[in-house]
Amino acid sequence: MLPFQVDLRGGVSVYQQVIYAVRKAVVAGRLRPGDRFPSVRHLSVELRINPNTAHKVVSALVGEGLLEVHPGVGTIVAVAHAATAEELRKLLEEEVERIVVESKKHSLGLEDLLEAVTRHWRALDEPETAKGSTRRREQRSEKTP
Amino acid sequence: MILTVETHALGRRFGRTEAVRDLDLTVARGSIYGLVGPNGAGKTTTLRMLVNLIRPTSGHASVLGKDSRRLQDRDLRRIGYVGDPSTLPRWMSVGRLIAHCRPLYPEWDDAFCGRLLARFHLPVERKVGRLSRGERVKLALLLSLAFRPELLVLDEPFSGLDPLVREELSQGALELAIEGDWSVLIASHDIAEIERLADHVGYLDEGTLVFSEPLAELQERYRAVEAMLPGTDEPDGSYPESWLDVERAGRIMRFVDRAYDRDKTSHDLRRMFPGIQEHTASAVPLQRVFLAHARESRRKAAQR
Repeated sequence: MLPFQVDLRGGVSVYQQVIYAVRKAVVAGRLRPGDRFPSVRHLSVELRINPNTAHKVVSALVGEGLLEVHPGVGTIVAVAHAATAEELRKLLEEEVERIVVESKKHSLGLEDLLEAVTRHWRALDEPETAKGSTRRREQRSEKTP
Repeated sequence: MILTVETHALGRRFGRTEAVRDLDLTVARGSIYGLVGPNGAGKTTTLRMLVNLIRPTSGHASVLGKDSRRLQDRDLRRIGYVGDPSTLPRWMSVGRLIAHCRPLYPEWDDAFCGRLLARFHLPVERKVGRLSRGERVKLALLLSLAFRPELLVLDEPFSGLDPLVREELSQGALELAIEGDWSVLIASHDIAEIERLADHVGYLDEGTLVFSEPLAELQERYRAVEAMLPGTDEPDGSYPESWLDVERAGRIMRFVDRAYDRDKTSHDLRRMFPGIQEHTASAVPLQRVFLAHARESRRKAAQR
């Protein structure tokens, strides 16, 4: 089993989707500093993706400092890594764009959208009183971009 | 870049039928190439020419650096080919068949064979004739993987199999591809699987290669476009070449643009439909690319 979840969908490069899923798992704390990261072989076979793609994913994540290679140990999630504002922004960009496009498609105004975002934001600030919304958010966050 | 497969103007006729024509196909070493196309497009004919099961009637194919027509047993021991699994000898048990094939290949890897047997859950004692279709395909793949070929050619490996078996097959093939510079050439209708596995995709239609390119580039270029038209009038002029499978329902228009560029597409839309609003463009799964090309080709055939 892999320590992060990704449901690959067509049309978007597998590389981007896996990178996104890993970043998300790190930012959300599902992958913690020091956790082992799967090998290229394991990634490729488990996800049934091209080994070259799996290799590119690991190289890119090592390159941006999210993962570290320790000879003899393997690849681990970088210890010194704290999610930067830039990473968080990148992570959200696609999702925000999608929500905006969907809203426009259904002729919702910016205010409607902001209101909905605010409502969900508040609901999460008070998890005890709004468990239903929290669960919905959990389900949403499982989805890949 | 080292090429495992390289064809020039490769062609094959069967009587009056041109099954494959002017095919220029290259498979780089270390690459997984997915060949897709409608039934009767010439995929099987192409693969069979590459492994010297049938001879081309024109052009040339080089496989592992050698003319495909001159491939001998010695060369074929470096190529794994999985075609129709019903050709396996029915009277032999799985274990006997493996023992029978093993001495034919100097590179046979017992440890790898053992791993594959376990991964594929194959019953060693059972006779081939009593295996399910899925088990037979897995056995055929095992026999083609265990000698660690440099080129693996798979002809419709997934057809008629359940998702679990498909997953096992893909994973088995990946076990091979991971460990070095092996190349895989796979023809399949399971386009979602191809989209995961392949780094290069070719689309064959009526014996002709319509496109052949890295999957990432293809995903960059293709977009599904949806536009709201100002009215229900017919357009001024004909649609651009790059628009495939144009559909209209009232004021909504959809098509797949195979050379999408926001500015250019906007410009074309405005030229044809003055007063049109902005369009939306979204990523296109390979399955949709396939359908768009197949429908387009059918439409053109109907016009001929």
